[in-house]
Amino acid sequence: MKRPAQLLRTAVVGGVTLTLSLSLAACGNSGDSADGGSDKIHILVYGDAANKVEKQLVETFNKTSKVKAVLDTIPGADYQAKLQTIISGKQAPDVFFNWGGGSIKPYVDAGLLMPLDDFIAKDPGLESNFLPSVFNTAVVDGKPYGVPMRGTQPVLLFSNKKVLADAGVAAPRTWSELLTAVKTLKAKGVTPIALGGGDKWPTQMWFQYMYDRVAGPDLFQKAVGGDKSAWASPDSKKALGMLKELIDTGAFGSNYDSVKFTDGGSPALLATGKAAFELMGSWEYSTLQDAYPDFVKKDLGYGGFPTVEGGKGDPNNLAGNTNNYYSVLKNTEHPEAVAEFLKLMYSDEFVKAQLGIGNLPTTTNTPKFLNGSANPAYSTYQYELVKKAPAFQLSWDQAYPPAATTTIHQAVQQFFNGQMGADAFIAAMQTLPAA
Amino acid sequence: MTTATAPAVDSEKTRRRATRPGRAAGTGVSRPSFVWAAPAAVFFGLFAIVPLLLVVVLSFTSWNGLGSPEFAGLDNWSKLLDDPVMLKSLWLSLLLTVLGVVVQTPISILLGVWAAGHQRNRAVLSAIYFVPLLLSITAVSVLWRAVLDPNFGVPSQARWLFGDGNLFGVQAGAIGVLVFVSTWQFTPLHTLIYQGAARAIPQVLYQAAQIDGAGRFRQFFHITLPQLRNSIVTSMVLMVVGGLTTFDTVLILTQGGPGTDTTNSAYYMYQKAFKSFEFGTASAIALLLVLVASFVSLVMVRLTGYDKMRSTMEGV
Repeated sequence: MKRPAQLLRTAVVGGVTLTLSLSLAACGNSGDSADGGSDKIHILVYGDAANKVEKQLVETFNKTSKVKAVLDTIPGADYQAKLQTIISGKQAPDVFFNWGGGSIKPYVDAGLLMPLDDFIAKDPGLESNFLPSVFNTAVVDGKPYGVPMRGTQPVLLFSNKKVLADAGVAAPRTWSELLTAVKTLKAKGVTPIALGGGDKWPTQMWFQYMYDRVAGPDLFQKAVGGDKSAWASPDSKKALGMLKELIDTGAFGSNYDSVKFTDGGSPALLATGKAAFELMGSWEYSTLQDAYPDFVKKDLGYGGFPTVEGGKGDPNNLAGNTNNYYSVLKNTEHPEAVAEFLKLMYSDEFVKAQLGIGNLPTTTNTPKFLNGSANPAYSTYQYELVKKAPAFQLSWDQAYPPAATTTIHQAVQQFFNGQMGADAFIAAMQTLPAA
Repeated sequence: MTTATAPAVDSEKTRRRATRPGRAAGTGVSRPSFVWAAPAAVFFGLFAIVPLLLVVVLSFTSWNGLGSPEFAGLDNWSKLLDDPVMLKSLWLSLLLTVLGVVVQTPISILLGVWAAGHQRNRAVLSAIYFVPLLLSITAVSVLWRAVLDPNFGVPSQARWLFGDGNLFGVQAGAIGVLVFVSTWQFTPLHTLIYQGAARAIPQVLYQAAQIDGAGRFRQFFHITLPQLRNSIVTSMVLMVVGGLTTFDTVLILTQGGPGTDTTNSAYYMYQKAFKSFEFGTASAIALLLVLVASFVSLVMVRLTGYDKMRSTMEGV
C-alpha cells in the first residue's frame, strides 16, 4: 500500500533535485562553493582495475593525516574529456592522474599546475627515488610537474617461439635479420607480424621505434618542441623509407586495419600461431596470460626492438608509456598534505601493492620486491630494461598535446595503407601543435 | 411579465448549453491554454534553444575548455571552408544517408507488407525479427565488429566472398559495414511502421481489384504502394534524420577510418570537440550540420508534399 505513495515522493524529490542541480550548474562558476574551507584533498584518477591500489594508499594516508584524501574516479574512455572540462573550475581536484608530457602541457601553459620544485627541495626523495628516464617525462619547460604513480609500460617485440622454431628463424637482433625473418615466415604461409591497425596506436609504435633507431631520440624531441624542419630531415625520410620497405614486403599481411588489439584480435593471431611477432606494450603479457595461459607458459618470447645498422639510436632506447603521474593544482588549499600524500608513491607499501596487481613501479626500491611479483622473470627483465635505457620515448600521441592525437593516428594509418606517401606524412606531422 | 421573460431565460439556457464545450466558439474545438505547453517549452528552450545559441557564440571563439573562450572572429569558419576533411565529411554524411534510405526502404516495405498478414507464423517471425531494435546500438556495433574480424570471424570462413577480409581497411568495405549494421538494426522499426500502415488499408480495395482481375503484383503496385504513401514519407524522414546524425556506429565500428574515409560530419564534430578540444571549430561544424539538416528537411517536406499531406482515404 505504501508503494505508490513512495514512488510518487521519489519522483517529486527526483524532479526537484534535477531542477535544482540544473539551476545550480547554470550559476555554478560564479557562486562560492559551499565546501570552500574543507579539510579534504581530492585525488582524481583514471577509473580501471588498478584503482584498488590507489584506494589502499588513500586509506593508508587517511590513517595518519588530519587532512583527509578523497579518491574520485572517472571511467577510462571519458577521463581526458572530463578532466579538461572540470580542471579550470570549482570542481577541480587537488591532485590528478595523467600521462606526463603533452597530456599536462596545456594545463601548465594555462597556469593551472604547481611546479614541484618546492616539494622536492623539502624532500629530495620525491625525485631521487624514481628512475630518471621515467621522472623526466613529466618535466615541462624544465620544471617537474609529476610524480610517477603506477607502472611503466615499455613497448616490446613479442614473438611466438614455436612458430619461429618451425620456420627455423631466430629472434631478430638487427633490422636486416628482421627483414630476412619476415621473408622466411611469409614463405611458410604465416603472417610475419600481427598488427592491430584498427586501433591506430599500435601502428604508431612502429614509427616510434623506427625514428628512434634511425635518428636517435633527439629528432622527435626537436619536432615535439616545435621545430618542424625535424620532420623533413634526411633521417626522418630514411626512417620512413625503411618502414615503407617493411610494409611493402607484406610483413603485416593485408588486412591489419580490420584487426584490433583492444578486442583481442591481434593477440589472438600471435597466440594461435597465425602470426610470429607483435610489437606491443608490456601489458601484452597480462592480456595473453588471461586468454592463453598455456601459450604464455610455453611459447611466448619477448625482447627489445632490433638495432638498425648505421642508425643513430642506442639499441637500449625504449618507447612506450613511461608511467602515469600525479600532478598538483596550483590553487590546492593543502599543499603540505599533498606533499605527504605524494611521498607514499615511493613507499614499500606502494611498490608491493603495484607488483601485486601486475604493474611494474619505477622507484629505486622496486628491485627489493621483484621476487614477490606475479611473474618475477618478466618483471625483472623489464625493470632492468627501463633502468639501463639511455632514453625512454613517451608514446607520440601522449608526448604531443591532445589536439594532435587525431592527426597522428590518421597519418600513421594512411602511411601504412598507402594513402599517404612519405612527403604527405611529413606535411601532416608538420601541422601538429608544438608541445 | 412572467410570460414575457420565461422564453427569454429558456433561450439563454439553451444557448449556453450549446456553446459550452468550446470557449473559442469559432472553431468548436477546445484548446488548452498556453500553460499546458509551458513545461515542454521550458525544456525545449533550456536544452535546445539555449545550447544552440551558445554554440553559435562559441563558433566565433577559440576555446580548448580551459580558461575563457577568446573571440576569434570568422577564423573557425574560414578554416572549415578550406578543410578538405570537412567537405569530405559532408559528402560522407549524405552518402550514408542516401545509402541507408535506398537499402532500408524496399526491404522494410516488403517485410512490413508481408508481416501485415494475420497468419500466426508471420506474427511469430515478426516478433523475432523485431529483436535487433531492442538491442543497444553500442552492443550491436561491438557484436558486428567481432563477427567481422578478418582472422577469426565470418570473413575467415568465407574467403570467396570477403577476400582477405579487410572490410575496415578500405573505404568501400567500411561504408558497406556501416550501412549494413544500421540496416540490420533499424529495418525492424520501419517494418513496424509499414506493417501498421498496410493493415490500415481497407480490404474493400483489394476485393474490388480482385473482381476486376488484378493479380498480386498489380494489387501491390496500384493499391498497397499508393496507400502507403504517407508512411513512406514518415519513414524516410526518420531515416534521413538518423542518417545525417549517424555517430555511434561510426565511433565503435570504424572510428572514422581508414584514415578519414568514414569520418562523417557528426563524428568529425565529436573528434574536434572531445579528442582535440577545439570547441570553437566543433561548434562551427555543429552549426553547419544544423544548416544542412534543416535544408534537407525543408527540401523533403516540399518535394513530398508532407506539409499538406492528403488523406489516402479519398473515395473510399
